[in-house]
Amino acid sequence: MLRFLIRKLPSVLGVTVVASMIAFALPRLAPGDPAVALVEGDASPETIAALRSEMGLDLPLWQQYLKWVGSLLHGDLGTSYILNRPVGDLILGRMDSTLELTIAATLLMVAVGMFFGVLGGSRLTPWARAFVDSWNTFFLAVPAYLVGLILILVFGIYTRVLPVSGEMSVLQNPNFGLQYLLLPALALALPGAAVVARLVQTSMLTNRGEDYVDLAISKGVSPRRITVRHVARNSLGTAAVVIGLRIGDLLAGALIIEQVFARNGLGSLAVNAVQSRDYLLLQVLILLAVVIAILAQLASEIALAALDPRIRLG
Amino acid sequence: MSTSDIDAAVAAPARRRFAVPASLARYGAAFRTPRGMVATAVLLVLVALALLAPVIFAGGYDVQSSDSFAGPSGAHLFGTDELGRDLLVRSVYGLRTDLLLVLLAVPVSGIIGSLLGLSGAVWPRFGTLMQRFFDIIIGFPSFILALCVVVVLGANFTSTVVAITILGLPGFGRLARSGALEQQGREYVIAARTLGVSRRRILTRHIVPNTADPLIVHAAIFAVNAVFIESGLGLLGLGVQPPQPSLGSLLNNGMRHVREMGFYPIGPMLVLLLLALSLSMLSDSLNERVNRR
Repeated sequence: MLRFLIRKLPSVLGVTVVASMIAFALPRLAPGDPAVALVEGDASPETIAALRSEMGLDLPLWQQYLKWVGSLLHGDLGTSYILNRPVGDLILGRMDSTLELTIAATLLMVAVGMFFGVLGGSRLTPWARAFVDSWNTFFLAVPAYLVGLILILVFGIYTRVLPVSGEMSVLQNPNFGLQYLLLPALALALPGAAVVARLVQTSMLTNRGEDYVDLAISKGVSPRRITVRHVARNSLGTAAVVIGLRIGDLLAGALIIEQVFARNGLGSLAVNAVQSRDYLLLQVLILLAVVIAILAQLASEIALAALDPRIRLG
Repeated sequence: MSTSDIDAAVAAPARRRFAVPASLARYGAAFRTPRGMVATAVLLVLVALALLAPVIFAGGYDVQSSDSFAGPSGAHLFGTDELGRDLLVRSVYGLRTDLLLVLLAVPVSGIIGSLLGLSGAVWPRFGTLMQRFFDIIIGFPSFILALCVVVVLGANFTSTVVAITILGLPGFGRLARSGALEQQGREYVIAARTLGVSRRRILTRHIVPNTADPLIVHAAIFAVNAVFIESGLGLLGLGVQPPQPSLGSLLNNGMRHVREMGFYPIGPMLVLLLLALSLSMLSDSLNERVNRR
């Protein structure tokens, strides 16, 4: 475990450092001078020069980079010049919403995915089989935001069953909060659930050919018990890995889903930052997303090793 | 066994030599599966519509009328938008934009990615460097990287093409590299090398043709992603800008005005789903028939 982490360290650090360089380079690559963009109307060259030195833009690039990374490491994420608030506060303020959404989506993804996976790996009538197959095929082919649009149209516009825009904190108001959360979380979860379902289904089909299943059959174990106790149990481990791998996708999906459902999370913060060219905010958000995605991937590899004694990290 | 059977058996190998190469025949088989046939038919109709759009809808996509937010009718099959423009016309022109994007970005991404991957297999040092490069691209959640591109290049057609191209590189690159490495270890390549065939000839005549199939299948799979990257960016208002329609920006407008005209997003969504599902069905059947060794 420790050896695995040490071996992974260079690549994790490498990706993080490069991501920070890309994030740092963005405002410098984008057209226009950030200082000029900030001042309103006509400003004298002196004002702009003063602002530039205040923002540290007159230093050599490598010094600017080191200064930025140094302050990040000290917990100072900078101040958004557009919104006039510390970036840290902005992120903390929006974090709950995104956390609620991703946690709910992950739970739904696991539940729905495993349900359809185990269903697909069991004996089914032709009609049920066709339903499971076409369900999976459809959601494998369609991204989260399209599912979101369809859910909005069906449940929010044509029948007004659930609210489709805005949000309410689930912790403060569970009843309304969950109503607001259900559709976006479903939209985010269903495509991932199809991936989980496919994997569970495939691994159930392989496990069915194993010797211990033949043994159970010859012992006279009922088919239902074989499916549930023997085959399904051994097949769910693979699903655990995908969950970790899908977290990056969930984050990327949340970006658009939040916009579509008018939720005030980190995703819509990032999109607004792009639209208003709020670089200082955007830089931190990009870095944050990359770090979370890398950590999730690492965690899923460790989880797989913990679940399957045949796999050794090292 | 009758004499004609024997004749046929004797003649068969000779005939096969002049027949279609086995690899190409597998592509044919992919198009003849039920899925492949449906997908090809739908795709052909969509491509024909997109190509002929200026002929069928000679007025272009910007013909306005006073009849705004009209529901679907015989005159306007998908209804009209906020400026009274026919949504069917705009959807077809949007489809044209999307197909153009796919046709530009997917081959470019495929060629650059494959070249990087192949060179990585030939020069191991470069290969490790490329692996790290691909790791970085994959480390970024996909839309975050697309956002970075939009920040630098602005929200327009070009930045969408660039974003799709970059996002495709790791997939093509890794496939090309692993395929080439696998072929390099095969007996026939070792035999060719022993016979003194030049490295270059081994690469172009043996390795490249034998790694091409998975790459072509991957191009079909990635085309679906390309469509979704466009529509995702369009939905955020960061893709192709008005007045030029794209499926993504039509969806964006559609959702914004869905309370005025409930059918607004349905038409563009239908076209998008048809395009994406037919592409993904085609890639499925290619995957089944061509990639199986």
